[in-house]
Amino acid sequence: MSVLVLVEPDDLSRQALTFARGLGEPVDALAVGEPVELGGVRTLHVAEIDGYAPLAWARALAEVGADTIVAAGSDHGHEVLAHAAVLTGGTFAANVTALEGDTVTRLRWGGSVVEEARIHGAPRLLTVAPHVIAAEDADGAAPEVRTFTPALADGDLAVRVAEHLDTSTGGVSLADAPVVISGGRGVGSEEGFTPLEELASLLGGVVGCSRAVTIAGWRPHTDQVGQTGTKIAPDLYIAAGISGATQHMAGCKGAKRVLAINADPDAAILASADYAVIGDLAEVVPAITAEVRRARGS
Amino acid sequence: MIGAIALVAALAVSAAVFARRVSLLVRLLRMGRPTGIDRTDDVPRRLEQEAVVVLGQRKLLHRLLPGLMHAFIFWAFIVLFPAIPMAMIAMVDPDAAPHWGWYEALANVFAVLALVGVAIALVIRKLVRPRRFEGSHLGEADLILAWIAAIVATLLLWHATEAPAWAWAHVLLILGFLAYLPHSKHLHIVTAAINVYFGRTRSRGRLEPLRFDEDVPEEEMRFGIGTVQDLTWKQMMDAFSCTECGRCQDACPAWATGKVLSPKLVIMGVRDHLYEEGPKALAGDYDGPLVAGRDSLEEMAWDCVTCGACVEACPVNIEQVDHILDLRRHLVMVESRFPAEAEPMLRDVERQANPWGKPQGERAAWAEGLGVRVLEPGDPAPEVLYWVGCAASFDERAQESARAVAKLLSAAGVDFAILGPREACNGDPARRIGNEYVFQAYAEQNIATLDDAGVRKIVASCPHCFNTLANEYGDFGGAYEVVHHTELLAELVRDGRLAPAPGEQTITYHDSCYLARHNDVRESPRELAAAVGTPVEMERNRERTFCCGAGGSHMWMEERGRAINEERVRQATETGAETLAVACPFCSVMLDDGVRSSGAQMRVADVATLLSEAVDGDRAD
Amino acid sequence: MNLLVCVKRVPLTGGKIVLTEDERAIETRHLGFTVSPHEECGVEEAVRLVERHGGEVVVLTLGPPEAEEQLRDALALGADRGVLLATDGGDWDPEATAAALVDAIRAEPADFDLIVFGNESADNANYQVPIRIAHALGRPCISGLKALAVEEGQLRGEQEVAGGRDVYVAPLPAVVSVKEGINLPRYPSVPAKLRARRKPIERRTPEPRPARLEMLRLSVPPGRGRRAEVLGEGPAAAPAVVGVMQELGVL
Repeated sequence: MSVLVLVEPDDLSRQALTFARGLGEPVDALAVGEPVELGGVRTLHVAEIDGYAPLAWARALAEVGADTIVAAGSDHGHEVLAHAAVLTGGTFAANVTALEGDTVTRLRWGGSVVEEARIHGAPRLLTVAPHVIAAEDADGAAPEVRTFTPALADGDLAVRVAEHLDTSTGGVSLADAPVVISGGRGVGSEEGFTPLEELASLLGGVVGCSRAVTIAGWRPHTDQVGQTGTKIAPDLYIAAGISGATQHMAGCKGAKRVLAINADPDAAILASADYAVIGDLAEVVPAITAEVRRARGS
Repeated sequence: MIGAIALVAALAVSAAVFARRVSLLVRLLRMGRPTGIDRTDDVPRRLEQEAVVVLGQRKLLHRLLPGLMHAFIFWAFIVLFPAIPMAMIAMVDPDAAPHWGWYEALANVFAVLALVGVAIALVIRKLVRPRRFEGSHLGEADLILAWIAAIVATLLLWHATEAPAWAWAHVLLILGFLAYLPHSKHLHIVTAAINVYFGRTRSRGRLEPLRFDEDVPEEEMRFGIGTVQDLTWKQMMDAFSCTECGRCQDACPAWATGKVLSPKLVIMGVRDHLYEEGPKALAGDYDGPLVAGRDSLEEMAWDCVTCGACVEACPVNIEQVDHILDLRRHLVMVESRFPAEAEPMLRDVERQANPWGKPQGERAAWAEGLGVRVLEPGDPAPEVLYWVGCAASFDERAQESARAVAKLLSAAGVDFAILGPREACNGDPARRIGNEYVFQAYAEQNIATLDDAGVRKIVASCPHCFNTLANEYGDFGGAYEVVHHTELLAELVRDGRLAPAPGEQTITYHDSCYLARHNDVRESPRELAAAVGTPVEMERNRERTFCCGAGGSHMWMEERGRAINEERVRQATETGAETLAVACPFCSVMLDDGVRSSGAQMRVADVATLLSEAVDGDRAD
Repeated sequence: MNLLVCVKRVPLTGGKIVLTEDERAIETRHLGFTVSPHEECGVEEAVRLVERHGGEVVVLTLGPPEAEEQLRDALALGADRGVLLATDGGDWDPEATAAALVDAIRAEPADFDLIVFGNESADNANYQVPIRIAHALGRPCISGLKALAVEEGQLRGEQEVAGGRDVYVAPLPAVVSVKEGINLPRYPSVPAKLRARRKPIERRTPEPRPARLEMLRLSVPPGRGRRAEVLGEGPAAAPAVVGVMQELGVL
């Protein structure tokens, strides 16, 4: 049984690789353009393709082939494996957390529901749910690197990145920030976010929000944390005035620790948070800011 | 001879000018759309309103000095009326004019009273200068006062000197006034009586429904006030009757807290738009601007909390809330233009059956452990259905009162049940923000649920639910006996089924707008407060209550200017009471917020909670 | 332009998901329903394209008869007609879904210039239906778009990636999937809702295929194991919060 992992130079790929090694078979990897530093891999195939073109990448995977093809649960991972499933005639299961024999465990509802499914047909293509498997490095010999030019069909490069626009404003992005402080309906208004912004900037973090806030027009969709917004994995996630709807919690599952600030001691979010402060966020957040300043001053 | 010619000529000119204008006004009224409720029923009460409000000048006499001023002039007009034909006869043939000494004496007294009235009016307008006149056209009023003074002065002079010249002057001034009348706000002397007759006599909280039936062609459907062609005839009558007196402006909690909204300015805006655009619309093929596009009508519409203080204050029973709501309806339902922060609430009401967006499955969670019967389909109907409402179901502060009500009803042995997850929002948040369509969908759904369950009697602990169930569901086929929880609890106390221990705490009771003003429920909550403590009244109480700020869907909208709830809390603290009692979950949240933000030392609690503690003997913290 | 948007009826689950007794579905009694969020934005995007370029928007769904509610919502946003492939509401795996949708697309009288999907559905999130359909129809597929424009038979799309946006260009006819945030769907007017009541919806019976990703059972994972540790009430809890921050090293 062969296992082939699509890798990009990111943390989610290392998580996917860790998952793949856990399947108990020798693991090969495929990278595109440049080799990626990895451990515990037998052969690293490097496909000569210029830039990201999902169908071409899928073609490369299909050409190398394997019984089980694995990728990270990232946008690229899902997209490439879906194409590869069609090319290989295989079955694709997204956001997988475990594979035992022909039974796959995968996530639905952004992680709030777990599905056990039987995967029929071959090959099996799996993307690994982000932040469920901790990335582990493996010792051992470096892989044998084999560079190749995949035989692409007409149209394989029809969809490719034509241009990259740089829109970063220099600050930390929501997806990468170590601390994220989100506000929900409980914040009450656009101005109500000011104390959250103060605390965020003090901690080198970023402000996020729930979907209700976006629809109310208080903050842009780019600040939205959730299943259909940005999925984040900060060290600390503070959710202020957020009730804890599953769609929102799906966006912050990857957070190491979650602190909820809510006036309602029975809010749903308390079942998904590590810590809670019961109170009015308009009072609590400034109090925390003051306490942080005090702690730093001393 | 000259006199006769002059009289005929003056009459002809005056009548022509008068008739031409009145013809326009009548044509405008006929263009007016029909109203959504029957305004011809309940004749005895309509006549009662005429007697009390028009003849008795009751609303005006709330303020003594302006009330007397107006009453003097009003009664003078009536008493002096016969003097007009007498003066006309004197114009033609001075000797033929009748001279009844007793009448002339009476007329002189009232003429002097009228002059006193004008003098008072001038003192008020020029020296006192009350704020309610901000925005009013004072110049026009001055002209009218001068004219009235001249009319009665010429009469007095005629009676004193018997010189025909004064009779001429009197007649000409009156005929001139007649011609001027329908071009000015003095039109109210004709329209006010009519407007009062057609106003709501009861169920003042019942909005006029719109019809979205399949068989109505879209072009004929009314979605509120878009252009001048969408005004109902009653709204036009309201506009014709406004005297810019500003009593509504004074009563409005939004205006009092520095917001843009003045109900007076809304009616004036509608009136000005009607006079300007109405004739164009009558000419045919009209594609004119929105009424809401005028001045700051759109902005003003969003400040309204639908408390009805303006309607209560208006001496000619103008129904300002209808105008504001109809402006909102068009903005929400046709233009999709409304404060963005209200969109999550509307989406939640529409898709999840409650404005909190919480799962309906958890609607009965507040009742855990209380042994409350949840009515399942097929269960026998209870004697009373307790309609809990979304606020008490999902807001942690409001849940306290629901628990108190449930405990009290159980203690009194009342056979009651709740619908639990099958209780959908009654639709008031959607209706008050202007989304009549979503409201009606929920009205129909809830009525089907209630009728299937065989419910006859409902007790509601939220005045908004109470108002909608009692007054508005009837328009959609739902007919139930609906009481507010304070009414039911007061009855149980009177019957001895609940025995609260009297207490010492000083309690000031805050009247909810939807109870005290829209529905005349004022005394039952006071009975309960008196049974458990020592009551003390705020200055603005009963039908003059000051809103908590949550009405008109403001629970879900941002507030500009100063906070209405803080203003009400300030009024409450002036009484020195320890406890601020309420009978509404919105009032309880808003006033509790107000107490916290102002640092006042007061406990805010529902009367049901206070009663429950007095019946239990201990205080639930 | 001839546009097709595919939508799915999903429940609005709230804070806690409850499963049916047989553990094969979500308990939806007392739940409201909606069009999956990415797809709602897809409908709005399609309607905007047609407002700009002229043409028609057809909205297609595979689901239970109640999914007509979601089609009417899409029609109220501005779509012109709907097609409902009526099932018994049970689970369909992504390949069977894609095959049934392809059948329906092929049965349409004219070809679609653009077929719009949501990037993944809110519930099952299999991430593959649009791509499978694109292959079956021989069209290019661009996924996860946050911006979309059509000019002279060409499609230009933008994806949000780390540090910026990736731009794609492809010729029409094509298949795309979009993400929420590409636009803010309009709040439909009541006249639009009333008109939507009268727009045509065609009902067909889809042909089921055997599931190759066969769902066996569902389960709800425990929250974070136990209820949150309450650090305190109100501003007084601030020192305890800072203590946690120091432990985590974020201070």
